[in-house]
Amino acid sequence: MSELRISRRAALAGAVALPFIPGAAFAEEQVVIATWGGDYANLLRDNVEEPQLKPKGITVVQDVGDEDPRFAKMMAQRHLPRGPDDVVCLQGVLGFKASEAGLLETLDVTKVPNLVHVHPNLRSGNYVPHIYSLQVFIYNPDKIKEPPKTFTDLLDPKYKGKVGLGDGNYLYVMMAAALAATGDASKMTDPATRAMMTKLNENGLRLYPSTDSIGAGIKSGEIDVGIMWLARVIMWQNAGIPVAASFPTEGSVLYVSGMVVPKNAPNKKGAFDYLNAMLDPSSQARFAEHMGYLPTVDNCPLTGKIGEQLALPKPAPKMFVPAYDVVSKTQADTADWWKKNIQHT
Amino acid sequence: MTSVAIAQRAKVPAERSQAGAAATFLAPATLAVLLMLVAPLLLLVRFSVNRFDATDMMIEMVTPENYLRFFSDPFYLSVLRTTLFVAVSSTALCLLLGLPMAYTLARMQSRWKSACMLAIVLPLFVGSTVRMVGWMILFARGGMIDSTLRMMTGHGFELMYTTTAVVAGVVSINLPFVVLTIQSSIETIDTRIEEAAQSLGAPPSRCFWRVVWPLALPGTAIAGILCFILAMNAYATPYLLGGPRFQMMAPLLYWEFATNNNWPFASALALILMGTTLLLTACSNFLIPKRYRA
Repeated sequence: MSELRISRRAALAGAVALPFIPGAAFAEEQVVIATWGGDYANLLRDNVEEPQLKPKGITVVQDVGDEDPRFAKMMAQRHLPRGPDDVVCLQGVLGFKASEAGLLETLDVTKVPNLVHVHPNLRSGNYVPHIYSLQVFIYNPDKIKEPPKTFTDLLDPKYKGKVGLGDGNYLYVMMAAALAATGDASKMTDPATRAMMTKLNENGLRLYPSTDSIGAGIKSGEIDVGIMWLARVIMWQNAGIPVAASFPTEGSVLYVSGMVVPKNAPNKKGAFDYLNAMLDPSSQARFAEHMGYLPTVDNCPLTGKIGEQLALPKPAPKMFVPAYDVVSKTQADTADWWKKNIQHT
Repeated sequence: MTSVAIAQRAKVPAERSQAGAAATFLAPATLAVLLMLVAPLLLLVRFSVNRFDATDMMIEMVTPENYLRFFSDPFYLSVLRTTLFVAVSSTALCLLLGLPMAYTLARMQSRWKSACMLAIVLPLFVGSTVRMVGWMILFARGGMIDSTLRMMTGHGFELMYTTTAVVAGVVSINLPFVVLTIQSSIETIDTRIEEAAQSLGAPPSRCFWRVVWPLALPGTAIAGILCFILAMNAYATPYLLGGPRFQMMAPLLYWEFATNNNWPFASALALILMGTTLLLTACSNFLIPKRYRA
């Protein structure tokens, strides 16, 4: 029997060549997801990636960062034949913009079977909604006995210096103002909308640099009322912050967060698997429990404490999915106006 | 052929080989600088003359409209004014606070000198954003300052989202750089010069202003310039301590780049900020008498 002898040089050459041998080096499939960090990324890892994708041999790499730079990177890399990400998390407006720019892969039930369960009003050709929440008025129940019911209530002098908003939510706040002023959430550039927002600003509006700082503002007594997502209210309630929600009579704009697959995604098959796992009722329920966001699928009934917290009042509040086509066209103008007239006073 | 001529002829190849070696050593660094600094700057210049488009992000052309937009809009000019105000006031404060600290440290003979130096360097071990979060806890409503004053006087004092908070934050970040730069400059001044001045009857204050100050001026100027440049480009401090209503150039630039995706205008803003900083830094050189310049 001849003895197999491998010289050191041969071993090194073999090691160098290994990545170039198709199928030999990477037995596991890899999916890269560009996502937010914090709780969102942890929940994705614990409820989508580890329990559902890992058993299929799919390893997931999270590319964590803010949404705006993520979108900017996606736009900048659109001409690359192979992009860096397989799945990109975007909220509704940016998802639409990416779609308009022709960056996204078309999605249907043959690629993502669980799409069949997605609520019809949230469906789109190349955007998969993951979670959503309603825009509500928040207030401190220890101090406010009669909560605001319409945007106009916030203009009341009794709330002078006591209304707080997140600066990053400017687009959705303008939609709320438009809904109250014109009855159409997409009319953000309407003079009536801008006049209403200006009045709110003149009533001592406090602007916060982050969403979490609004919760701190309520807790410290700096503000008593504000505009926020229902999901955040539930998170803050669970954290012991004295806050309650009131649904605007003019209706609630919906915040939708979802995922897309770029056309130049290196592993589209893996990306479709990811989206399908993300829509699974088990992972949807965990997001509702931990973050207070509503499931986007019809096969995930919520029970227990979270079912009670997320139960909508009867009659159900009016809900509006933003008219993304209009909003995306007027966003730059609205941002400019906000910067000069609301931030800069 | 004289021996001098032979020696000179031998010197030329030696110098050439030295120059060759120097070029070999410098080439990688020069290439790296060219690739990583000059190339992005050129790209920035190119982007700044493009036109913004909401769908395509930008349309390639050569237009001055982004620069005209900045200089014709009072809003953007006011943002530049605020940036300059913060940069100048924090630089002045840093120099005012840093000079005595640096002088004391430089002339310290005590065994505690190393500990004092470490205390000044220590804040640099913590990221500026983390330090700003600390300031937020101090300045916020219900924070340490507000609570203490409320307890003592019955009235609170909110510093968050004010110009004072931003200037204090910038000073806290830049002060170690200023102290260390001036201190190293004073260390190089021979103490015997001060002793000579004092032995000739100069009181300590006169000795400082007539002897130490002129010699420390180039180092102090460098410290001031360093502080000014850092303050002009401050991002985390105005964002976290100033809040959304406090507008400075760096956060505005980021807003245009990331939130609006307006890369052409953001590029123009970046170049305007850089140009203003360069221009004022160059002008600051004229504030120092020629005979004291480094």
